Amino acid sequence: MKKRRISAAIGFVLVASVVAAACGGGSDSGSEGGTPQKGGTINILSSAESIAHLDPQRNYTGDDLAFVGSTMQRSLTTYKLSEGDAGSEIVGDLATDTGTSSEDGKVWTFTLKDGIKFEDGSDITCADVAYGVSRSFATDVITDGPSYAISYLNVEGEYPGPYTATAAQQAAYDKAVTCDGNVITFNLKSTVADFNYTTTLLTFSPVPKAKDTGEKYDMRPVASGPYKIESYEIGKSLVLVRNDQWDPETDSERKAYADKFVYNFGLDESAMDERMIADTGEDQTAVSYGILPENLQTIFEGDEALAKRAVNYYDPYVMYTNLNVKSLSCLDVRKAIYLALDRDALRKAGGGPYTGDFADGFVKPALALDYKKPTQLDGLNEDGKPNVEAAKAAMAAAETNCPEIAARAKDGLKFYYPDTEVWKKALAIWIDSMGKAGIKIKPEAVGDPAQYWPTVMNPETEYDIARGGWAPDWANASTVIPELFTTGGGFNLTRNADDPDYKTFETKIEEARNTLDRKEQGVKWQELNQYVVDRLWALPGTFTRAQSMWGSKVGGAFQWGPFGAFCYGNLWVK
Amino acid sequence: MSASGTVDQSVAAEAHQNSIASKSPFQLAIARFQRDRVAKFALGIITFYVLVALFAPVICAVLGISPYRLDGDALNDFGLPKGSFGGISGEHWLGVEPGTGRDLLARLMYGARVSLFVGFMATIVTTAIGIVVGVISGYKRGKIDAVIGRFTDLTLAFPSLLLIIALTRPITQRLESFGIPEGNPARIAYIILISAVFGWVYVARIVRGQTLSLREREFVEAARASGAGTWRIVFKELMPNLWASVIVTVTLSMPGYVATESTLSFLGLGMLPPTASWGAMLGDSVRYYRADPTYLFIPGIALIVLVLAFNIVGDAVRDALDPKADRQNIA
Repeated sequence: MKKRRISAAIGFVLVASVVAAACGGGSDSGSEGGTPQKGGTINILSSAESIAHLDPQRNYTGDDLAFVGSTMQRSLTTYKLSEGDAGSEIVGDLATDTGTSSEDGKVWTFTLKDGIKFEDGSDITCADVAYGVSRSFATDVITDGPSYAISYLNVEGEYPGPYTATAAQQAAYDKAVTCDGNVITFNLKSTVADFNYTTTLLTFSPVPKAKDTGEKYDMRPVASGPYKIESYEIGKSLVLVRNDQWDPETDSERKAYADKFVYNFGLDESAMDERMIADTGEDQTAVSYGILPENLQTIFEGDEALAKRAVNYYDPYVMYTNLNVKSLSCLDVRKAIYLALDRDALRKAGGGPYTGDFADGFVKPALALDYKKPTQLDGLNEDGKPNVEAAKAAMAAAETNCPEIAARAKDGLKFYYPDTEVWKKALAIWIDSMGKAGIKIKPEAVGDPAQYWPTVMNPETEYDIARGGWAPDWANASTVIPELFTTGGGFNLTRNADDPDYKTFETKIEEARNTLDRKEQGVKWQELNQYVVDRLWALPGTFTRAQSMWGSKVGGAFQWGPFGAFCYGNLWVK
Repeated sequence: MSASGTVDQSVAAEAHQNSIASKSPFQLAIARFQRDRVAKFALGIITFYVLVALFAPVICAVLGISPYRLDGDALNDFGLPKGSFGGISGEHWLGVEPGTGRDLLARLMYGARVSLFVGFMATIVTTAIGIVVGVISGYKRGKIDAVIGRFTDLTLAFPSLLLIIALTRPITQRLESFGIPEGNPARIAYIILISAVFGWVYVARIVRGQTLSLREREFVEAARASGAGTWRIVFKELMPNLWASVIVTVTLSMPGYVATESTLSFLGLGMLPPTASWGAMLGDSVRYYRADPTYLFIPGIALIVLVLAFNIVGDAVRDALDPKADRQNIA
């Protein structure tokens, strides 16, 4: 999943801590106790103009998944809405349990609970879930969502989604996803041992076909969880109220303490931090995701009362820098960039160690089975300081090996950055670092930070360097490496398809995916992580930490491990 | 004591009487200005700023500082300056920028280059346009004056700051397509151009008013009667009498243009990073008002002092050139 509030995060982190223990429990990740009580309004402060996507099949941003998944939408399975390690366990949500797989892991069945209803009172049926999943195939309408259903489901031939499918195509889909009463069966192309983790994604949320408005469904999705939309105005607010059709008996996880959620959009990031620090009026029941670097010292080392209302934790992300492998098709130039980059300065500009630890690859140590410290590039300083001599040597090598690309680097590489104060400083650091190795940076500012991902993901945008931030969707590097570096991946900004090693890489990915033994598979991901680090298709930045704050009257403000965000739905008013 | 005081006064009064006869209006103005100690001090400050801006690279080289060099060692773990008052030290006299450790004194001096260059250029362009339009309007009167007058009103009616902000990106891009180098040169050209588009009216209206009254005066009549052409009348008769009011307008409008540049940079529409600019520094520093308040004061004070100095000098020039000023008060 992608990272939100990108202006606050600097450098190139790609954090992936998911399910594992990294998001430790206890005082590190949450607010102090008290008995939860019902009632009140929880306010959420946000600098974004809207939720990226409310449409369950299009939602793919960690913080938004945590918000929508814990309030409005249910899926077949869900992570427990709990603090610490328990939050990484899955339980049945709409399904009675976490599903049953066939022996070869290619057929998965889930039985739906009784008494589950949409907000309009109609029953949630197997057909609604199957229809919801089918929407994710319509990638021209249902954009930006996860593509796991497309990768995994064994649909014969091309299936363009329910809107434009011919009868034959629809029949092929209906063969892959079958309904028998309240039992839904998924037939997969190959073994997916942890498919019931995939089903925690809202891709597997039900959508009533009759209410589906295609692209516009994003503005007014039908709720299956304890809250429904009262009003939604982009740039202003989203108001959620109780959904009286939701039956708590069918839901072991969502507690639905608050009467109302008000999501306030379009706020200035500094103002958000100021309001959280001031803690007056309605802000006492507010939460805010992320803290600006300039306020970290004030909050964490200035005032104990503030530190009590804030959390500093490893979130599941890795930040990194994408290199356009097509325009920088010369490993020596990519090496020079990495060696010359002052990662230590970048980290300082983002708030120092509070930003996170220097990354050694794209798989976070928290993914224990899939992590093995990759061998680093020769000459790379582990402390993040640049190695200018080695960078110059790499540039010299590039002059002989690929003079055209070296000349391009000297002439100026297009660097896309979100036009925020933090990033202006990061840009200064980039220009300074690269200058020492004889590489020039041509800055290209993206005015609206919310447009940063759409801009660089647009194939028309000719960047050389762009940032990236990623978290695994569940505890398997299969949700990291293929997503970031294969052409079918959901967030591949490296344009590496023409790299001579790409074909081999893709074959190895398939091998890893088809390896049944989870430990053996882990070893394959370790090798693939090394494979990418060796080729520098992207430059590892930091395994990130994140900080958030909540008002003095908010209870249950722990960070939900898998998403690195508040478990919004279970917040309560003191 | 008292006796000698009386003698001094009488001598001074005598000298005073003698001096009046021999002074031209311009000399009188200079004398009035010189009597204004605050204005002289303000002029000194402006001169200081200009010299610092001109010689910024030399000063930086001598002090061993640079506006672009990063100094991570001057920052703590949070990326904030080490030590109190924003990291002020023997090495960094005004402290360092949070996040990067760049020297603030160097950035302030380089920022002055941008601010003052934009200020001077914008003033020169607006004044030139204003004088030409104002003289034509006032001297020709009639239809030309009416058309120019309406156009002036129209320009004044525009919400200029809004337009300046809204037009930044499209016009900068257009300027780049005309061959002005991409980036800062185009941004500077835009600020000067847009200041000229909205700024000339103030000069033009004053010049027009002056021209209207001057053209009816006896000396102009006399020149006309003796067969002087339009050009001669404009340049030899009118212009020398217009300078006073033009100089006043110029000194009073200059800080406005410096502020325009700062405003745009503050809003992220001015100079591109990593170029130093006062507005960009202000825009960045407001975020640190809690963690590093010194950083906020440094560019703020620099800007306030310059704008104030220009205003004081402008007021003093106006007073000095005012023909109604009391001659007896000039020593």
